[in-house]
Amino acid sequence: MRSVRYTPPLWRQWNLVWNFAQRDLKSKFKGSALGWAWSLIVPLATLGIYTVVFSFIFRAEPPDLGNGRDGVFVLFLFAGLTAWTFLASSINGGISGLIGTGALLKKIYFPPYAPVLGAVVAVGVQSLIELGLFLSVLLVLGNVGWSWLLVPVWAAVFTTFTVSLAVIFAVLNVTMRDLAHLVTIALQLLFYATPIIYPLTLVPEHWHSVPLRVLIEWTPFSQFIQVFRGLTYGLDAGSWMSWLTMVAWAALALGIAALVVRRRGGDLGEEL
Amino acid sequence: MSEPAIRVEDLSKVFRLHTERRSSLKEIVVRGRSRRAGSFQALEGVSFEVPRGTTVGLIGHNGSGKSTLLKILAGVYRPTSGGVVVDGRVSALLELGAGFHGELTGRENIYLNGSILGMSRREIESSIQEIIAFAGIGEFIDSPVKVYSSGMYVRLGFAIAVTLDPEILIVDEIIAVGDEEFQRKCFDHLFRLRNQGTTIVLVTHSMGLAAELCDTAVWLDHGHVRAIGPAPEVISEYLGAVNENEALSNDEPGMIRAGLDAVRSGSGEVQVRAVEALDQLGRPLPVVLTNEPLTLRVHFDVKVPVRDVTIGIGFIHENGTGIGGSNTREHGVPIQLEPGVGYIDYTTDRLDLMPANWRMSTAVRSHGHVYDMLEKAFPLPVRSSGGSTEGGAVRIHGRWGAAVQEDSPSTAPSAATP
Repeated sequence: MRSVRYTPPLWRQWNLVWNFAQRDLKSKFKGSALGWAWSLIVPLATLGIYTVVFSFIFRAEPPDLGNGRDGVFVLFLFAGLTAWTFLASSINGGISGLIGTGALLKKIYFPPYAPVLGAVVAVGVQSLIELGLFLSVLLVLGNVGWSWLLVPVWAAVFTTFTVSLAVIFAVLNVTMRDLAHLVTIALQLLFYATPIIYPLTLVPEHWHSVPLRVLIEWTPFSQFIQVFRGLTYGLDAGSWMSWLTMVAWAALALGIAALVVRRRGGDLGEEL
Repeated sequence: MSEPAIRVEDLSKVFRLHTERRSSLKEIVVRGRSRRAGSFQALEGVSFEVPRGTTVGLIGHNGSGKSTLLKILAGVYRPTSGGVVVDGRVSALLELGAGFHGELTGRENIYLNGSILGMSRREIESSIQEIIAFAGIGEFIDSPVKVYSSGMYVRLGFAIAVTLDPEILIVDEIIAVGDEEFQRKCFDHLFRLRNQGTTIVLVTHSMGLAAELCDTAVWLDHGHVRAIGPAPEVISEYLGAVNENEALSNDEPGMIRAGLDAVRSGSGEVQVRAVEALDQLGRPLPVVLTNEPLTLRVHFDVKVPVRDVTIGIGFIHENGTGIGGSNTREHGVPIQLEPGVGYIDYTTDRLDLMPANWRMSTAVRSHGHVYDMLEKAFPLPVRSSGGSTEGGAVRIHGRWGAAVQEDSPSTAPSAATP
């Protein structure tokens, strides 16, 4: 005898998660003439706009490439933007994914995190395309190093962190619908508070005796993005401290996500 | 006795009622968390067991907690206290095509819906041809489901559900929406599963279906189990209570007035006022039951003396078909009427109309002249005192003989021996 809410272990639910991801991906591009091409055009366009604004108008100075050549601002930006887009789109996608699946949760029981995971996977597919494009360009420029081998490890930790945040916000948003709007604002703020479009060295060390640079450096988002940029653009494996910090943040987020799902996830069929 | 397939133990479900839902952060911050203004006890202390391979029907009036219980069995809601344990793979069919995404094609939706229903990719792939054939929607399978008609939508949803091979099926009767053919397909499928030994829990409002399909029935009343036992007994008990309630809510028992939408025609020298339903002792009959004696008393007003009048009554089924009727001339009753009020009785020893919301027409005429005509004006709900498994609008009279097996050597000794 078992409970009616029998939930198979996570890896056995891949089919469901992947089908939710396919739903998100297919419905996103269905009916548009360029279809999948948009998943490349949109990030490239964003990249182009930031490049024009920051390298021609503000004349930002990117750090040198890992192989010693002069820095290329577009690539510097590309690294940070790819990682950030994955995080932000996953959180937003997870929130709308769970709300969009609400009617279904009233009819059939499945773990409420499944559509959120599906949304993250859908975003991840696009991020992988961007990552491939980015690494190809670096390869052409001869900026390749052993640090690239750590990229999958970094991706695993970052994905855990991102998935956990997406699940936390998506589940909490069902009972507190304002969260979606707050998250939008918070993500915008964090985008500028994270060294994505500017190098950390541009941040003043102190601002009215507030150690601004240290604060920004050690936010979880900065750590993930700086390490990724270090691995790919700077060919730098990153410090033990940075890696420990990232793993700690990911573990904390995962723990909170598990707690939220256990506390709030059970009755979503009634709340949605 | 073997282990039950489903065991429900002291199950209760309380829904919180907020006078005003404060689901946004601002409201919570500004006005504080909403007090738990009240709660609604949808189920209280419900316990029963469903033996393996049997079919159980959940019956009860609207709001009795049937759907809540069904959703708890399906895992959609969590019980407030008590619990449900099952032994086997549970599939729930509360709505067909619930997980369809409009932009995706039928084929893509088969994969999505199948995985939501718990099928693995391999299971879906091995049965996709069967699903497409069963749905019978032809080339539309590769069009987005947003262009589907509602009929195609449920057909595809049902085709996916059919390929599920559950050990325990939780099913809501309302899945059988659509045309007659589709409904029959749905019920055929339920019968097939039942014969294969699937344990089925069914919510239904159709007592005929419940009597035919279910071994046992659970009658829920305001969240409590009022009766549980063999389906025919529980159904009769339930119908008895329903009929009694209907009678109590009627302040003028037995009297049937013309509906507000009734259209009266004719010259008006004689007019029918009302029809009264009476039992064999002449007492008002609050609920008209099939297969029971019935007298219909037609009350009329007469304004001027009329000669050679024929009074007729007709019965129209709820689907609009006129099933039959009777008039005084056919029965050779000559009628002469003087000014004033009066009535005439039409009596049957056994009402052959089957349970349905019937309507009656009345007519008063003479040699082709119409004095008064009220078409489909009088509502006549006919109810049953037990779940009837015979379909149709009227009872057909006839007898069945015993079954004879012609090719069985033990019962049919060769007649051809010389």
